Amino acid sequence: MQQVSPATLLVLVPLLPLVGAVLTLLLGRRLRSQAHLPAIAGIAAAAAVAVVLLLGTAAQVGRPDGIHAEPVRPVEMISTLWQWATVDGAYTPPPGSAASIPGTAVGGTAGASRAFSIPVALRLDPLTATLLAIITCIGLVVAVYSIGYMHHDPGYPRFFAVFSLFVFSMSMLVAASNFLIVYVFWEAVGACSYLLIGFWFRKPEAARAAKKAFLVNRVGDFGLAIATFLLWMTYGTLDFHDTLSPDGTILPGILGQTRLADSSGIVGGAVGTAICLCLLLAACGKSAQLPLHVWLPDAMEGPTPASALIHAATMVTAGIYLVARTAPLFVACPGALTAVSIVGATTALVAALIATVQNDLKRVLAYSTISQLGYMFASLGTGTLLGFTAAIFHLVTHAFFKALLFLGAGSVMHSMGNVIDMRRFGGLYRIMPVTAATFLVGALALAGVAPFSGFFSKDEILASLHGKGWPHAHGEHHDAAPASSHAATTPPLHLVGLRTSATEPRAVDRRALIGDGSASGAVGWLDGLDTPATWQVLFWMALLTAGLTAFYTFRAVFMTFTGPARVPEEAGHHAHESPPVMAVPLMILAVPSAIAGWWLFSTQWLSHFLSATPSFTAPAVATTAAPHTFHMDLAIQGSLAAAIGIVIAAIGHLGRRSDGPQMERFLGPLHTFFANRCYIDQLYSGLFVRPLEALALVAALFDRHVIDRLVNGVARLPVALGGVVRLLQVGLLQRYALAGVMGVLTIVLALAWRLRG
Amino acid sequence: MTPVASLSPGMILAGAVTAAAASLWLLLPRGAENRLARWLGLVLGAAALAGFIVTGRRLGGLGEEAVFLVVSLVAVISGAATIVTRSPVYSAIWFALALAGVAGVLLVLGAQFLGVATIVVYAGAILVMFLFVLMLAQPSGLASYDRVSNEPLLSAVAGAVLLGLLSLTIGRLSADPTCCAVPAKSDAVTGGDGERKSAVPAAADPLAADQVARLGGELFGRHLLAVEVAGVLLLVALIGAIAVVARGEAALEDDRRLAAGGARR
Amino acid sequence: MMPLVAAGSTAVLHNALLVGAILFALGLVGILTRRNLIVMFLSAELMLQGISVSLVAWSRHHGDFGGQVLVIFVLTVAACEAAVALVFVLQAFARTGRLDAAAWQELREATLARTVDHALPASDAVPPRWPRLSTAGVVPPGADESPLEREHV
Repeated sequence: MQQVSPATLLVLVPLLPLVGAVLTLLLGRRLRSQAHLPAIAGIAAAAAVAVVLLLGTAAQVGRPDGIHAEPVRPVEMISTLWQWATVDGAYTPPPGSAASIPGTAVGGTAGASRAFSIPVALRLDPLTATLLAIITCIGLVVAVYSIGYMHHDPGYPRFFAVFSLFVFSMSMLVAASNFLIVYVFWEAVGACSYLLIGFWFRKPEAARAAKKAFLVNRVGDFGLAIATFLLWMTYGTLDFHDTLSPDGTILPGILGQTRLADSSGIVGGAVGTAICLCLLLAACGKSAQLPLHVWLPDAMEGPTPASALIHAATMVTAGIYLVARTAPLFVACPGALTAVSIVGATTALVAALIATVQNDLKRVLAYSTISQLGYMFASLGTGTLLGFTAAIFHLVTHAFFKALLFLGAGSVMHSMGNVIDMRRFGGLYRIMPVTAATFLVGALALAGVAPFSGFFSKDEILASLHGKGWPHAHGEHHDAAPASSHAATTPPLHLVGLRTSATEPRAVDRRALIGDGSASGAVGWLDGLDTPATWQVLFWMALLTAGLTAFYTFRAVFMTFTGPARVPEEAGHHAHESPPVMAVPLMILAVPSAIAGWWLFSTQWLSHFLSATPSFTAPAVATTAAPHTFHMDLAIQGSLAAAIGIVIAAIGHLGRRSDGPQMERFLGPLHTFFANRCYIDQLYSGLFVRPLEALALVAALFDRHVIDRLVNGVARLPVALGGVVRLLQVGLLQRYALAGVMGVLTIVLALAWRLRG
Repeated sequence: MTPVASLSPGMILAGAVTAAAASLWLLLPRGAENRLARWLGLVLGAAALAGFIVTGRRLGGLGEEAVFLVVSLVAVISGAATIVTRSPVYSAIWFALALAGVAGVLLVLGAQFLGVATIVVYAGAILVMFLFVLMLAQPSGLASYDRVSNEPLLSAVAGAVLLGLLSLTIGRLSADPTCCAVPAKSDAVTGGDGERKSAVPAAADPLAADQVARLGGELFGRHLLAVEVAGVLLLVALIGAIAVVARGEAALEDDRRLAAGGARR
Repeated sequence: MMPLVAAGSTAVLHNALLVGAILFALGLVGILTRRNLIVMFLSAELMLQGISVSLVAWSRHHGDFGGQVLVIFVLTVAACEAAVALVFVLQAFARTGRLDAAAWQELREATLARTVDHALPASDAVPPRWPRLSTAGVVPPGADESPLEREHV
């Protein structure tokens, strides 16, 4: 292990699935039913490497030392693969701009022009290591599951190739250390998602769903692009990390440690808020938050393993990753932070409401994903270290149990002959005991029942929201910290020859971080939303959502697995438990769904580990650290909500036939409203889709009647000319001879004219 | 004719060429017989000839001029008649007359052998061959294709342009004193300086007794190889003609056999 | 004896070249215009005559035999050409039954129709009858040969 450097291992994690993808593309046709081998080998190797990296990084961070821990030093390793683009002299920082950190000498002299430089650089820090491990390990489990699920599909090799390509893209996304590289792989995962949703492209609904997903994601990508432009203009670089310029000065990266150590390094105010809101838009697009959530339910047209991987565990978490990574930027703009939470909480509530009336098991899980992602955003928006780490904690546990639930749904679908409407089957626990048991484990985790994993992560989220709404309730201060704050200011050792910047700690008030000091107009209004009252509302919304989550989850469980045993005709002779290649992954995923939450919480390992991420060691974030305690009152509130939800679901559905009219009778007119997804799709259709279709029709008519006519006319010109010339060829030799003579005479005349005199 | 004399030779030439072209166009067979066109053509042709005569150079004395004028007129008028008459047999006869004119011109220019050879070979052999073919192939009466011409106007214009160019060039040529300077040649009849030198005066003097002999000597001396090749060429033409006829006969036989429903041999 | 014009004078050259040029141009017009194959070949021979006159004129001007030798070869080649050409003319006649250059139009564009002559008035199709001599002497023994007679040329 000493011989292999971490940089090599880091490159291997995305590289191995890429190699697997390429091999599958090349050899897939030949391997046929063994076409999964290169992809599985690549992902498995990548998973092993990712776990090794995780353990190595954890060793560097060290163990948590208890309540009065030493300040956590940031752990970061940058490995630059190659220089992708360089444009010299592309940026001249205006004096006093954030490009060089104002007030320090870091970043070179103002006025010296810098190059536009995009290195393909990968980074390894606790956040990346965690996500890499999640992506590859869950990817491996789902890939093994897919061997059974996609067994008879004619597109078998194509599935594994795109799957492997997706793992590569997602790994690169979380490991990239430059905004442009992130953008590239942001798009790449979108493309892989399109390919997987539209896997059965001959089905019109699948093709439409894939198109919808891609187009809605595009709106988010637009946000990321604008954010990238603004970041370049504000900071003069697109790197996360600090780099050394040719003349020896440090070019501070946007999230580099020299910038984060300086309290005025991050720009706030109007520009900062604009950047953060654009990043939020991008995150909404990728993580299916309001108003860009419409693609995720339709994306269930794709194969269930694809849904399990990308729409539960990995791709949709890219938005969470982005906001978590750019935490310092958000923390400098309190208005943007509040907006994140508001969006998250609202989405969570609305999605949970819609999920209560869905009859398609996968749609329930899709809306559940949207809702849980909303939870994570709500937690991120609190801006505290607890909030950020709680969001990532929930991301990890959610990855496990949601993937488990999706694979279980896939298992059900597989035996029911591709029928997934819950009203058409029931009482399946007799037929599929393993699936039922693992699905129950996942459902308990999702509902937040102690001691399953979801309980702990949800509890932490509720705690962070509660802490913002009632700042003095637990006797902890979550913002202004005592002067003895141990915010990490020493730069990491891997940047050799670095002059250390100011080392004395500063009293950090978040407001002081606003760069240009103006908070007027819309930004001021947004900032003004950051009041405890807002957070209290968000807390109650989150609690209500917890109850709804438990309700719809167990409604789905009871409708599917309890009641009289019913099997639809499409099942035929398929109605039996899944083969081991599908059942074993379910059992594998059930284990962390059950115990990961308890284990991670009790050892405080994850939050300690994540706090060493450079983004979270910034003073603005790190000073909000509070010792982790178990808030009993919040736990009781959360569990009560969950229990109420489960009980109501049991009253309605336990042991009954699943095609009863309980939901319609209970909700009345609201039922239609939620069943039609709050009419958002229809709204978008009228606002955007129809006008675009009309425009497309105009363009098509123009193309057909004007452009085509013009081109064809031009093509007809030589034909017409030829037709005229053709009339000369009459076959009479004397005419040909005459033409020859006239030609010769013309030439001679011309020569004679030139030579006259 | 003062107005005519005041015109430059170039303009007279241009007028003559135009008149010649117009007359040819009028005279060429163009379908229905048109007496007016014929008369007009003849008049214009005469005018053209007059124009050409006027632009010609004065020769030494009236005698030479007269002889040259007569034979060249015979040649030219017969040549024009060859291409203009409707009946191909008449055309052949006019051609014979043209040959006589050309032979006369050649004799005036001092090429005694060639003058006679023209008559013997052309009029005696080639023309007779043409007449044989006419005898075999010509329909009785005037065929339709004898009464129509192919693009007479354009062809006449092309001929006119060509003639104009050529006569302009000839005019330039003879007007330029430095052109065509003939190197001074000694009159020594006695050889001694070599064959080439002695051949020059003989050619310069067409009345020498051994002029034809000297021509023969030149021919079989310097151009022996060409003579031999020419002989072989004649043999090849002979064999080729026979071969084509033989094969042609076989092909015709096959065609008739096929038409009768038999198999190709 | 009439003295001939001295060799080297340009007057003879000019006139003779002019005659040659006229003959050449006439022959060219004939080839391009007339449709009877025989008349076309006669026109070609006319062009060769013009060439011969020009060559001999130059020969006379330079005072050597070069031009005359060339004319001899022209004569030879003309004879060969006439022989072979007439064989082909007869082959063509055997195929189409006409001595018409416009009978051969097969190399035209596929979409074009054959060019046909417009109907010509029949009035001059038949030249006037030639006077006939009255018969004299004894009719030789043998069959009536009237079918072999041709009234017109």
